[in-house]
Amino acid sequence: MESTQLALLALLTPLLSATVIALFLRRAGALASYLSTAAAGVVAIAALMLAYGGHRFDASAEWFTFGEFTLSLGIKFDDLAALMLAVVGVVGFCVHLFSLGYMHDDGYRARFFGGLSIFMFSMIGIVLADNLFMMFIFWELVGFSSYLLINHYCLKQSAADASKKAFIVNRVGDFGFLIGILMCYAAYGTVSLNELPDVIAGGAMMSAVIPLLLFCGAMGKSAQMPLHVWLPDAMEGPTPVSALIHAATMVAAGIYMLCRIEVLMVADALNVIMWVGTITALYAALCAVVQSDIKKVLAYSTLSQLGYMVAAFGLGSYQAAVPVEIGHADGSMQMGEVFIMVGGVGAAMFHLTTHAFFKALLFLGSGSVIHGCHHEQNIFKMGGLSKKMPITFITMTIGVLAIAGLPFLSGFYSKDAILHLAGEQNSTIFAILVVTAVLTSFYMFRMWRITFFGEARSDEAKKAHEGGLTMTLPLIGLAILSIVGGYTGHNGEGLIYGAAFADVWSQIPHPAGIGVFIKSIAILAVGAGLAFALYKPGPSDGLATKVPAAFMGLTLLKESFDKGYDYYVAKIQDRFAMVLNFLEQILLSGLIIRGLAGVVGLFGLGARALHTGSLHTYVYWFLLGAVLLWGFAGGLF
Amino acid sequence: MDLLLIAIVSPLVLALAMVLGLPKALARNLAYVGFAIPAIIGIVLWCQFGAATKESTYAFLTSYDTGLSGLGINLTLGLNGISMPLFVMAGIVGLAAGLYALQSAAERLNQYVTLLLIMQGGLMGVFASVDVFFFYFFHELALIPTFIMVGIWGGRDRNYAAMKMTIYLTVGAMLSLIGLIAIYYTSGAQTFDMIALREAIAADGLSTVAQRNIFGLLMFGFGILVSLWPLHTWAPLGYGAAPSSAAMLHAGVLKKFGLYGLIQVALPLLPEGAEHWAVILATLAVVGNVLIIGIVTIAQRDLKQLVGYSSVMHMGYAFLGVACLSVVGVGGVVFMMVAHGFSAALLFLLAPSVHHRTQTFDLDEMGGLVKHAPILAAFFVAATLASIGLPGFANFWGELTIFVAAWKVFPTLTVIAIAGVVISAIYGLRAAAKVFFGPQTEAFDKVLEEKPATDLTWSEKLPALLLLVALLAFGFWPKLMTDSINESVAEIYPAVESAVPGDVARN
Repeated sequence: MESTQLALLALLTPLLSATVIALFLRRAGALASYLSTAAAGVVAIAALMLAYGGHRFDASAEWFTFGEFTLSLGIKFDDLAALMLAVVGVVGFCVHLFSLGYMHDDGYRARFFGGLSIFMFSMIGIVLADNLFMMFIFWELVGFSSYLLINHYCLKQSAADASKKAFIVNRVGDFGFLIGILMCYAAYGTVSLNELPDVIAGGAMMSAVIPLLLFCGAMGKSAQMPLHVWLPDAMEGPTPVSALIHAATMVAAGIYMLCRIEVLMVADALNVIMWVGTITALYAALCAVVQSDIKKVLAYSTLSQLGYMVAAFGLGSYQAAVPVEIGHADGSMQMGEVFIMVGGVGAAMFHLTTHAFFKALLFLGSGSVIHGCHHEQNIFKMGGLSKKMPITFITMTIGVLAIAGLPFLSGFYSKDAILHLAGEQNSTIFAILVVTAVLTSFYMFRMWRITFFGEARSDEAKKAHEGGLTMTLPLIGLAILSIVGGYTGHNGEGLIYGAAFADVWSQIPHPAGIGVFIKSIAILAVGAGLAFALYKPGPSDGLATKVPAAFMGLTLLKESFDKGYDYYVAKIQDRFAMVLNFLEQILLSGLIIRGLAGVVGLFGLGARALHTGSLHTYVYWFLLGAVLLWGFAGGLF
Repeated sequence: MDLLLIAIVSPLVLALAMVLGLPKALARNLAYVGFAIPAIIGIVLWCQFGAATKESTYAFLTSYDTGLSGLGINLTLGLNGISMPLFVMAGIVGLAAGLYALQSAAERLNQYVTLLLIMQGGLMGVFASVDVFFFYFFHELALIPTFIMVGIWGGRDRNYAAMKMTIYLTVGAMLSLIGLIAIYYTSGAQTFDMIALREAIAADGLSTVAQRNIFGLLMFGFGILVSLWPLHTWAPLGYGAAPSSAAMLHAGVLKKFGLYGLIQVALPLLPEGAEHWAVILATLAVVGNVLIIGIVTIAQRDLKQLVGYSSVMHMGYAFLGVACLSVVGVGGVVFMMVAHGFSAALLFLLAPSVHHRTQTFDLDEMGGLVKHAPILAAFFVAATLASIGLPGFANFWGELTIFVAAWKVFPTLTVIAIAGVVISAIYGLRAAAKVFFGPQTEAFDKVLEEKPATDLTWSEKLPALLLLVALLAFGFWPKLMTDSINESVAEIYPAVESAVPGDVARN
């Protein structure tokens, strides 16, 4: 099959699946789930064929034209897109498979699987997009599918609120994103990812405004501060959704988008991006420490890791001096050098990939735990699950070790690449990221210990059991990927990647020497040691009893943003709306209409009759006018 | 056979037949035909449009002498790339409104349907007329039944609403009539024929002063009809009171008369006047319609008022596109008009369906309706997302194109306009959440005890499906419409674009 057809197959199969489910399978949950999973299987196969089969191509079709504005839809399939597509395909299929078991008894299974299919369609659209308008279209569509899936348990007020919040906060980010796209179009005359590098290389003016506005989109989608507030709430959705959309793929789309527009970056913009990512990483890690809901721990962990990726991109991998011709106002030309700051695509995408594997694993593992414990999500009410759910326990342990950065697991390599970058570029950032890494290890081992060890602390936990094969297989698959996903070499090749993503992998910095191992083991040991010292498997939070001040401080830190936003919405936005509405009703409905009626009075008695009399008067006036006109035209008078 | 004439006349003939006292059952069955014919003809002509021979952008031209040729008035019918999409939209929305009305339990149904048929005939006439006089005449023909329907079949405050609508819309129509007559005289062409007027003015343009004055009249006249801020207050009130099918046809289709007039008549004939007023128009539209009305919409607690205000808000985007005075801007507006026609009609169809089940329009007394009416919820959420410009629905392309065009001319205003995208998400999703999601309120529990809620019936589902399919079709495949729009606009608009000192404005 041709490359383009294969890519279109990957894109359109989920759309077809969603359409069929919406039209015919609303009441046939089982069929819908099989169809959607089969579609995800097709996507995974097509994605792997495209990625590993050497298909690299560009294709584009004009979608519509008004005057000089042409909007086209197209595919840009390079190593970066191939990598992202492979991740989406593989993780997507694992999550679909897991959902077969997890959602088996859900009354609205069809809607759920339809939503997953729409999500796959939209996400693949982002991956393939060859221009920013197209990316924006699918960007909004993933927002919609996220809305739909967070709102799955829509009779719960919290789910209804969370879905609304997710969509609106994302739109705030998209506000900046869209302005950035329009500015990019106005400044460079194109938004095509293929043409932009040529325009830039041609010496076009660069500014920090455009990349930063585009970054607003990433801040919304990848939940960077201060637009991170929607992601913890998004845990209201079913757990497989959290794994796929709110951990592995959609929230990583912001990082993917940044890598796509790397050519637009300037040093100032990268600096801002680096700091936003770093602060998010630290803040979220601190919040994760005081969560008692297993999914919320993972949600803040995701935020923190996304911050890592954003920081990695902002750190940049190298600075290149490129000779260019500089034109002067008087027309003379001069040779000069321009320092091109290059975003840290390699390290960011590397961590995105490994994170997709181990975080999807952790979320699906938590889903398995929640499923096993009959929808209990509080870790303090679990306990003793290591024996009752051995496969979940072992795979999740691998996930915890991977995210904590145990040497030879995937997270070790990708996190180390980022720390290495930070160490070279900026010691403050390096210090913050190391603290974050310690915290990561700390809160992950806290969760792991309290969940799996000790006595079962509730009836649900006592009756816990392992899910079926569809639930354990994806866990095993993702656990394997979490181990081997980190092996890449200096030449851009990798153990499971082959040479397929050489363009991306060759940009990964590879720190050498024994120090790397020591550093990582130290970080892990300090975090884990603290966690073991502070927390014992029991019904209460160890930190809250031993260091209550720290616990309260962290809780306050976590809640401050939500409180701030709630205050803004209730006290500022809604009040302002009410005041405006009041003015609208009083001024416009009251005064102006009276005033206007007065003016109309000047039209004379006839017009007055028209407004104060009955409706029928108007009809008669109209008919009379028509008759008179006809008569006049016909020459009667 | 002149299909355009049949599309206009057949609803009118059936309305007449109903008045003359056909047996009720027969009359109702015939009324289906009366609503179906314009829609079918619209689609047939749409398919033929690309290959049809065109004269000055118009295809299917025919002319009838009505005895008014002494005044330069002939019933000249035809469609160009601007009117054709609107003609098709009017046909489809009319069919949906008719189907909904015929299955409704309205009192004195026959009279109600008769008025709707008259309105439908007028609407088809508006967009098929090449003659400015008949363009105006058909508008009035469609407008009068609206007033009567609001006054008789309306809901809360119907008398006040009908009166207010009548005053505002009459003033608006009068101002625009004065403007149109002024064009007739000052052009010296002594004709209302659009093509002849365009040629006459192209040969010998109007003076700048005349252009400015006439455009001002048309802008405010048409502006009132399209609810330009601050002349919009009739709209939320009127739509709040109007019976559903009347609101569908007015908000969806008839309201577009003003925008259509600006695009088809005012801008091409009065380019310098347009340039003079463009900044004012754009500012009123963006600051007034989009920002102020957008925020006012957030404060609404009545579902129908909310839908009415959101419709006023979205007209701001259309005015902004008009004020760009460019092919891109106007193309976006035409697309937006069609899309908004479908989405506004759909929302005005679904709001009473919600009321039917909750017995209230008060958002605070609803909640959890999705449990009882999942399909209604799906339609409503889809309509909401369409109207707030989610890609995949037609509205998105219109908004996006307008933003692209506006960025070149009014960057600051465009930023405010894009902020409207966030505002509309806030009120749209809030409304959807309050009606359908979350736990049931006590008030709704009580209503359910007396009258258990059911999901959408086929008589509601069919017209809703018609509109939703149209929104999705144009949303996924905009080329269905854009090619012909672009062709006509590009031919008519060079005069406008060259009149604007664009390079100054754009740098």
